[in-house]
Amino acid sequence: MSDKKEQISRRNFLKGVAMGVAGGTAVTMGLYSYSPLRKRHFPKVERKMVDIGTCKSIKVTNISETSWFENAHLMGDIKGAGGLLVNQYDYNWPPFGDGTGLGKGSYEKGIAKIKHLLPDKLEEAWDIAAANSVHPENAGGYACLIEMEDLEGKMHKYLLDSGWSYKWTDECFRRHGIDTMLKNREIEGLYISHEHFDHFWGLPVTLKYDPTIPLFIPEGFYPEGLQYIKDSGHKGPLTIVKPGLNKVTSGFATYVFAIPIICRVYGEQSMYFNVKDKGLVSVTGCCHQSIIRFAETAYREIKYENDNLYGIYGGLHISPFDDWDPKYDDLVISLGKYGFEKIGCNHCTGVLCAKKFIAAGYPVVKGTARYRSKDTAYLGNGDTISFGTEV
Amino acid sequence: MDSASPNYLESRKLVKRWNGPIPAIVSLVITLAAFYITWWIFQDPRGWMRMYTPYVGYMYTRWWLIVLIWMVYLFDYWPFKKSWLNTTHPLVKGAVLTAVSFVVLYALIKGFFEGILGNYGLAYFNPDRLTQLPGITHFFAIEYAALACLMFAAIASWLSPAWIVACEEVPWRDMKQPGKGISILVMTFFLSTIVYFITMHSHMGILYDPWQYFTSIAPPYWEEFANTVSGNFHVSWIMCCTVTVWLVETIWERYPFSLIRHNGLRRFVSFFGIIAIALAMHFFFYFAQELTWGEAIRGTRRAFAPDWRWLHVGETAVFFLVPALFLTFYCDNWPRNFSLPVNVLIRTGIMAIGGILLYIVYYKTSHNFLGTQKGFSHPQQFPMIPTIWLINIWLVHHWFMDNWPAWKMVPKTAEEIEQDHERQQALVDDIRWNPSLGLGLGTGAVLGIAFYFVTVWALPLFYNAITVIE
Repeated sequence: MSDKKEQISRRNFLKGVAMGVAGGTAVTMGLYSYSPLRKRHFPKVERKMVDIGTCKSIKVTNISETSWFENAHLMGDIKGAGGLLVNQYDYNWPPFGDGTGLGKGSYEKGIAKIKHLLPDKLEEAWDIAAANSVHPENAGGYACLIEMEDLEGKMHKYLLDSGWSYKWTDECFRRHGIDTMLKNREIEGLYISHEHFDHFWGLPVTLKYDPTIPLFIPEGFYPEGLQYIKDSGHKGPLTIVKPGLNKVTSGFATYVFAIPIICRVYGEQSMYFNVKDKGLVSVTGCCHQSIIRFAETAYREIKYENDNLYGIYGGLHISPFDDWDPKYDDLVISLGKYGFEKIGCNHCTGVLCAKKFIAAGYPVVKGTARYRSKDTAYLGNGDTISFGTEV
Repeated sequence: MDSASPNYLESRKLVKRWNGPIPAIVSLVITLAAFYITWWIFQDPRGWMRMYTPYVGYMYTRWWLIVLIWMVYLFDYWPFKKSWLNTTHPLVKGAVLTAVSFVVLYALIKGFFEGILGNYGLAYFNPDRLTQLPGITHFFAIEYAALACLMFAAIASWLSPAWIVACEEVPWRDMKQPGKGISILVMTFFLSTIVYFITMHSHMGILYDPWQYFTSIAPPYWEEFANTVSGNFHVSWIMCCTVTVWLVETIWERYPFSLIRHNGLRRFVSFFGIIAIALAMHFFFYFAQELTWGEAIRGTRRAFAPDWRWLHVGETAVFFLVPALFLTFYCDNWPRNFSLPVNVLIRTGIMAIGGILLYIVYYKTSHNFLGTQKGFSHPQQFPMIPTIWLINIWLVHHWFMDNWPAWKMVPKTAEEIEQDHERQQALVDDIRWNPSLGLGLGTGAVLGIAFYFVTVWALPLFYNAITVIE
């Protein structure tokens, strides 16, 4: 009898324990998890303060920021092909058009039609590609020239990205004398920010003028992209840059972010320049990682002049298709506290976002809206911006 | 608990065709195959219809879930008769009922949201109206309209079943169909509309430039608390409510609320208790991300953005719902041989382990077969789409097809239904206050608090010890 009582008592005790464990856990979850006390569990941010050196100044020339000319055509193609997750090589966009129609293409079939013409006969290659592609007239491209003056006064030139349309990119290169600089081997390296069509597919235009140029791509390129580098006739050194900070020369480093990007692309490389007595300048292709994460990464990783985030140039990937989302307002609201003194944004930042920046009172450098750039709210094609020196 | 006439689910007995875990395994294989085939047809970005744009596919997935809930929980299969349900082959039944659900789904999206609401109420539900906005592309017009619809769906997917599970169908409990179904539908739709305006409308209001100050509250009231102006803050806790409703209904067998003997009080506490549990989940999953990835930074994108973190809370919650439903649908809510609190605790533990494993496996492998991309926070990475799609497949299989072919449906006799009620009541009656229970309760509460803090301590260590994404 007493055994039975004891057994019943143990059973009740276990029932109570089960109820208590569930209740205690749930109540603590609710009361503690979002309370200020939770912050005690976060590790203190320790700044690495890596010294990347300093440079005297940089000047950025916007070769082209108009990656495409009509949002409606681009988004219509993306929608028709199945959305933003479809492999970019399948869209049947130039130069990989194979004549089978939207969303039915492939790198292999597309490149087979033009490979023999790369990189020297680009006009002929583009004509073939255009005849087999969807909306070839919509292709533009993104590229910029960075001229960095080191502390000894020597100039160093770098290209960030190589556009999309062979025709458009070549026209822009010739407009700004990039063709001559490449022929003269003045440009020390081509840095590809990421594998997207509008930044990378114009690669043969650079290689046409300098096939030996050192090429730096972020880790994460898909096999098609790696093959395209070979098929485009690149003969120089190829560096696949690992995620993290990569010092290039005094005052210049790149940072690779291992992030997934729309249209089946992975990884983005952006640039840091530490300008003497001024502060850090961020130069980006699309900045899919977000300018704020880029700034926060700099804060955690790098030692820079006056501990000052000085300037920005490039696409900030906020509303590239004139779309919007309340989270972009979070960015507009928050950017001010980082204290950038000169914001030269364009491309995938979106005109709407640039206007919101201006409305928020940020120091946005306006453009001239030439060469098919649409608005003076940001730096357009052919415009320049300098940091540490006046243009 | 007072009584009401048994519905179809209550009046059917599912008899295993084979012993042991074979039926569960067979069902898993069949439903996964159905998932993958239908995924390829409807959703996959490499597949046929490519609805994973992502919002269009997301919207249809969520509303399909709600239509299934309506058909079964609100309308008890009306207008189909019980005799037809009892005698028709599961394959035929599955095909017919699924076809009906698709028709209702299509009529709801195109007829109600786009046609009526989008044309005569709120323009942002209708993509054609949105394309008239300067600068907006057709693609984003469709995506924005789909986003509005799916935000509504998040609320409806919580409130529709909550009225059955928590409020026990009152005050229409004894009504006949379709009166009962219509009444509950109207009530839950009405509540969903109110909650939508309070939680989601401001999100839509600031989606357009300039902010629509005079038609929606902008900036929204939750900005300071949630560290974002995005409505994802609400998507998060509302998704946790949806998950909690189903946990209460399935692996928790309406415990702990079933312990309250007063009908009115039980229903009231159930409804708000579900919200309280969901809020606990909501805050904890956010904290878990802070512990593993670091503090969120407002204004940034992807994994560090507060808006994405809140969305990911809802996504994480659904990962845990999947094993819970599997346990109920295909494992007969194992275990059943202990007291109710112990059974529930063990099932919850199984669900937690299953959810964590599913989360890891999903992010490690899903990009290899779903047509999505690897990474936690790709802007088009919405794990709620495949997880809810799988749940929908399971609901079709379990509700419309009686778990065929691994189970056979046999209608219960009135005595068997009565015995079920008695068994259920006995489980509840088994929990009576006594000193041993009280001592256990206190000890358990301390252990629960300790378990929480051990989890908080171990989570970053565990996350750093494994590589989820190469």
